[in-house]
Amino acid sequence: MKIFFIICQTAILYGFFLLGEFIQGLLHISIPGSIIGMLILFSLLHVKWFRPRWIETGSHFLIKIMPLLFIPATVGAMDYLSLFRKYPSSLGIVFISTMIVIILSSAMSQRLNRNKLKKVVSEAEKEMSI
Amino acid sequence: MNIITALLIICFTTLIYFVMQIIYKKFPSPILVPIATSTAVIIIILFLSHHSYKFYMIGGNWIGSLLGPAVVAFAYPLYQHRKTLKDSFVSILTSVFAGTAAGLVSGIFLALWCGLDERIILSLAPKSVTSPVAMSISSLTGGIPALAAVYVMVAGISGAIFGPVILKKLNITHSIAVGIGLGTASHGIGTSKAAEYGELESAISSIAMTLSSIFTSILCPLLLHLLF
Repeated sequence: MKIFFIICQTAILYGFFLLGEFIQGLLHISIPGSIIGMLILFSLLHVKWFRPRWIETGSHFLIKIMPLLFIPATVGAMDYLSLFRKYPSSLGIVFISTMIVIILSSAMSQRLNRNKLKKVVSEAEKEMSI
Repeated sequence: MNIITALLIICFTTLIYFVMQIIYKKFPSPILVPIATSTAVIIIILFLSHHSYKFYMIGGNWIGSLLGPAVVAFAYPLYQHRKTLKDSFVSILTSVFAGTAAGLVSGIFLALWCGLDERIILSLAPKSVTSPVAMSISSLTGGIPALAAVYVMVAGISGAIFGPVILKKLNITHSIAVGIGLGTASHGIGTSKAAEYGELESAISSIAMTLSSIFTSILCPLLLHLLF
């Protein structure tokens, strides 16, 4: 029974993906169809008659197996192994730059959110003292 | 005939992935992340059996075609965490923008500094976003889309392997910060890594991945246009 739900709900999610692709083609924007589809579904979830449980099981399933879905694309690296031998520095650059992004974005976010937490605490303290 | 081949390839990939997942659960070391080990094992098997990537994609395409709906599926955790999203929207926006800009500038300038070929630089620039976006950006700017997809994978896998180590070293523990770091730098692969931390982390990571795709599709062509 669960498999039946997963298949139907995946089909629904696929429909949103196709809709997103269609809109992207229509408007010629560089935002990918999958993200447009996600934004449409996210907006629909706020509409009263649209039940979140219609896509709940399928969503959990797809998110859980997501690494598997990336494998065919990552295997594509095999066609470029000679290129990596020719330009090994390009791999190092991608690696260093990726680490810069992780460090900068997460450190910044930690700082911004810590300040907010402090603010909440200090406001609570103020209320307590009053 | 093709359908049987496709089915066999799908089963073969799924089986390897589940075996690698069991190994990872037994030995949770960063270098044993299932996506990295599965990729390596499949490439080695294909080489040893003299099969091409094109042959593998007869079945691989079917698995890959679920990536689109999987990205759509993130609408659900986003909806569940809509309150957190609303409360820290500005901080999320700022951190992702800073990370995206730093990634583009550092990638392009390091590549220029190393004297890499222009087409390689153009293909490497959009490495931090999910592969369909990176491929369409690189085809717009004059890079090689297939090569762009490879750099996307390098950014994704290296982030999934070393990201958690770095976050731990820097003592970054806030759910939002963890999600932002992994999603901004390593798109969907980072997001699936963030799911190991928890639902909020993966939801935030998927927001970060979405925002960074949007920022990159605007900033990357602009920056490259100024330089080349």
